[in-house]
This record gives sequence, C-alpha cells and structure tokens, in this order.
Amino acid sequence: MEANEQVVSGEPMLESPSKPIKIKILTKSTIAIRITLLALAFLTVYAFFSFDYKEIDFGEAILATFANIKAMFFEAHFNHFTFTHAFYQVLITLGLAFLTTIFGAIIAVFLGLLAAENLTSKRVSAVIKGIVAFIRAVPTVLWVLIFAVAAGLGSVAAVIGMTFHSVSYLVKAYSESFEELDNGVIEALQASGASFWQIIFQAVIPSSLTYMISWTFLRFEINFAVAVAMGAAAGAGGIGFDMFMASNFYLDIREIGTITYFILAIAILLEVFATKFKKKLRVNG
Amino acid sequence: MTPLLEVNHVSKQFGNETKALSDVNFSVSEGEFVSIIGPSGAGKSTLLRCINRMIDASNGEIIFDNMNVMNLKKKELKMVRTKIGMIFQHYNLVNRLSVIENTLHGNLGKKSTIAGALGLYNQEEKEQAVKILSTLGLVEHIYKRADQLSGGQKQRVGIARALIQNPRMMLCDEPIASLDPNSAKVIMDHLRNISTTMGITVLVNLHQVDVALKYSDRVIGINHGQVVFNGTPKDITKDDIQRIYGSEAEDLIFDIGGIHAS
Ligand SMILES: Nc1ncnc2c1ncn2[C@@H]1O[C@H](COP(=O)(O)OP(=O)(O)OP(=O)(O)O)[C@@H](O)[C@H]1O
Ligand SMILES: [Mg+2]
Repeated sequence: MEANEQVVSGEPMLESPSKPIKIKILTKSTIAIRITLLALAFLTVYAFFSFDYKEIDFGEAILATFANIKAMFFEAHFNHFTFTHAFYQVLITLGLAFLTTIFGAIIAVFLGLLAAENLTSKRVSAVIKGIVAFIRAVPTVLWVLIFAVAAGLGSVAAVIGMTFHSVSYLVKAYSESFEELDNGVIEALQASGASFWQIIFQAVIPSSLTYMISWTFLRFEINFAVAVAMGAAAGAGGIGFDMFMASNFYLDIREIGTITYFILAIAILLEVFATKFKKKLRVNG
Repeated sequence: MTPLLEVNHVSKQFGNETKALSDVNFSVSEGEFVSIIGPSGAGKSTLLRCINRMIDASNGEIIFDNMNVMNLKKKELKMVRTKIGMIFQHYNLVNRLSVIENTLHGNLGKKSTIAGALGLYNQEEKEQAVKILSTLGLVEHIYKRADQLSGGQKQRVGIARALIQNPRMMLCDEPIASLDPNSAKVIMDHLRNISTTMGITVLVNLHQVDVALKYSDRVIGINHGQVVFNGTPKDITKDDIQRIYGSEAEDLIFDIGGIHAS
C-alpha cells in the first residue's frame, strides 16, 4: 500500500495494479455482434450435419476430386485449339475488359464530379449516388442479359452491360476520392478567381489521381474475370467461350486446365503490372 | 487618400439564430496594414470572407476599388477576386503538386479556362513565380511537393500564390495560428514587408494581441459581430482590450503593459 500512496489519487487503474484491466467495454453493439457470430457458427456446423449425403462416400468423393484436379492441371493439353488460337482468344477477352473499363472510366469521371458533394450540391450528389447504387446492386451478368434483349446476345450486349456496371462502380469510387479533398483548397482557388473546370483539373483531379488509378485497375481486373464469364454466358467470344466449349461440349477436362493456366497467367501479369505501376506513381506523383 | 476598401453597415445572419456580423463599419486605405482581433466566434473569418464574397453578406455595402462588391455579376466578381489575395491558417495548398505549380495557381483567374485547366503557363509567368519564391526564400524548394514542406514554408507558398496575382489587397485569416513563434515571425515580417515595400493593403485576422499591436498600422477589435475598437496600436487601452475580449482578458492586459513599455 505504501507504494500506492505516491500515485496521484483519482486514477483508479493505478491503485490496484494486480487487478486485470479490461480494454474492451461491453456495449450493446459488441454484444449484438458476438451473438450474431455465435449464431452463425452454430448454423454452419448444424448445416453440415443436416445435409442429405445419401450415397456419397466422402473418401471416394475427395479422391475423385483430386483425380480431376490432377487431370486438369498436370495433364493439361491442347486438343481442339492451338496455342496461338488460345493466345488470340485471351487477347480478345483482355480487349473486352480494357474497352469496357476505359469507356466506364471516362463516363465515370464526369458523373463522379457531379456526384461529389463538395463540388456540386447535396441534392445532385444524392440523386446520382442513388441511381448508381441501384445499378451496382444488379450484377454485371444480369445487365448484359438485359441489354441482350435489345442488342442480341453477343459482344455488343457484353460491352454495353459491362460498361454500364463499370460506370456505376467507378462513379462511387471516384466521387469518394474527390470528396476527400479538403474544402479549403477549393476555397483558396475560388478566392483567387479560378473557374470550376480550372479547379477540377488543377486541384481535384491531381489530388485524387492515385486513388482513381488504383480503383480503375481494380475494376479492370474485375472486368477481365467478368469478360471470361461473358464469353461463356453471353456468347461474347474470347477465351471464356473456348472454356465453355471445352467443358460443356467436348467434356475435355484437360483442356480446361490449359485454359485456366492461360487465365491465371494473365491475372498474375495484371497484378504484377498494377503493383509496379502504383509504386511508381507513389514515388513520382 | 481615398480608401481602397469601405465596409458600410454590413451584417451577416446565418440561419435564423446566429448573427455573425451586425452593422460593421470601417474603411482601409491603400497600403495600410490592419489587424482584426477578437475572441473565437466573434465573426472575424466571416468578415474577411464577406469582403471577397466567399460568403454573401446579408445587408450593407462593401466598396472595393470604387466597386460595390455585393452587386457584382459572376464575371466581374472573378475580376475583383484576382485583385485580392487570400491566405489561410491551414495554407490550403494542393499537396500533391509542387511548390511552383501551387504558386502559379494564383494566375488561374487571369487565364482562359482551357489554358488554366491544362496548366499552360508562359515563360513570363514562370519567371515571375521564381522571382517571388526567391524573395520568400523558397527558391531551392520549387520542385518539392507541397506536403513535404514545413508549416512555415507552406505558408510562404500560400503568400507566393497570393502575390503572383499582383493583388491590391491581401486577406489573411489567422496566417500564423498553426506556426511556432519563429516561423510566425518570419511570416509576419513578410506580410509587413509586402505592405511597406509593395504598397499592398493587408488585412489580417489574428489571435495574438501582442503580434497585432507590434505589426499593425491600425487595429480593429470585434466582439459579437460588432466593431468595438478601431484605432492605432498606440491608442489601445486596457479598457479597450477588455471590451474586445470580454471578461477573460486579464492575462492579455498583462501583455499590453509589456508592449507599451518597450
Ligand atoms: N457556415 C456557417 N453556418 C452557420 N454559422 C456559422 C457559419 N460560419 C460561421 N458561423 C457562426 O458565425 C459566428 C462567427 O464565426 P467566425 O468563424 O466568423 O468567427 P471567428 O471570429 O473567425 O472565430 P475564430 O477565431 O474561432 O476563427 C460563429 O458564431 C459561428 O458559429
Ligand atoms: Mg476564424
């Protein structure tokens, strides 16, 4: 107790150092979160026990799956297409992803400026953000199918649908990075007589450029994955269509392996390039 | 001498409740260095912002260079704004751009929209920027990004951006509130110098009474949106300070004794 007497009174935590100190206080929300997590954990376990397994022998199923994976990835081969053909088809898929991302980005910059609360009015911003949230809530594939009603199933519907969804995604990303800019900067340029577009190009965009590029790259990666799926689902061509043919038409699992390798290689290349590019931007920008 | 700026019966109401300014009157002549002091919430920032119409005053008239600022159309207002430089407590630079780019931003108001948006500046403008930056002691930093500078250096870039406008008047909203005493002195010396050697009128909001008294030709004291003192630093008395700052003024009175004695 003697040692404690030197401690300033009014600091209860220091008076009894042996008592454990809580760093988290139980509030209503933390309790609610914990109950939810427990309930989810319970449901997950229960679900596994309540599945109807019927005749499936677990051991056999796992072995069969491994055999399939082995055939897919270790015995990959070309049968119905050549290497150059596959390469060309990957380029088509990349092209689809690139085109829709660029179209989306250009439209999204302008809509994003309108949707940024600090640049226009709260009302305009709320309207655009609302519309864009609705578009985003519907999956890309569905938009492609919706546009296919007018344009027919194929690459045109894919380009329109994917662009549509890219715009909605990028408007949100861009407008949020525009809103990050300190209002004082805009005020300072206004006070010197600068016009709206001068402020946009001299302050708003330079300040958000790295964010914008990061988001655009992310969307490009998403669009590449979607473009593969579109090849199969909407007949947009590209490597996705070949994959569809290999799996549903020729039933050739080894060829699917080859195509998967192609897609994987592109995805890794994109990732590496994006990381390098971003690093460079951060140094120079 | 005819006044460069006249503020007549200016009031500003925010919403229904807050009366930020009520019946403010004063005038400032060409080349004068005027400090505005007053407690927090007195309406100092509101007053400065009404002058270049960053905020629209509710009532009264503001005459700058023989023009009624409150009646101006968009184009004319822009023209008036190019003649008024403004610097801020938080500098308000574009962090990702270089010192010289930030300085050149002061020219945007005079350029065509396209040339300004694309950042196309001519040789003359660039030379002018370098010249101003070197008088402010920033010439070795011109290619540094603004966010790599110290607070005092950022504020000097803020001054450079205002000076390149070739302004008749500078409005400074608490330019030294975020700075250490040394940097603050450097900034105040530059502002004083701008007023004395270039003949630019300087209107500056300050929280430090001693600084206001030391640097100003004239001090305007504001309390609750009203001008309660308007005179030279020599004329200011303990009573005036008490009237400007209300009852919390005890410590400040001490400062004044020191200043007048020295
Ligand atoms: N945009 C606004 N909307 C509503 N009220 C405002 C607004 N701006 C300022 N006010 C109010 O106007 C009054 C004056 O504010 P102002 O910012 O001019 O004071 P100040 O003297 O600059 O204070 P400080 O020294 O703290 O900067 C305050 O009561 C403030 O709450
Ligand atoms: Mg203020």
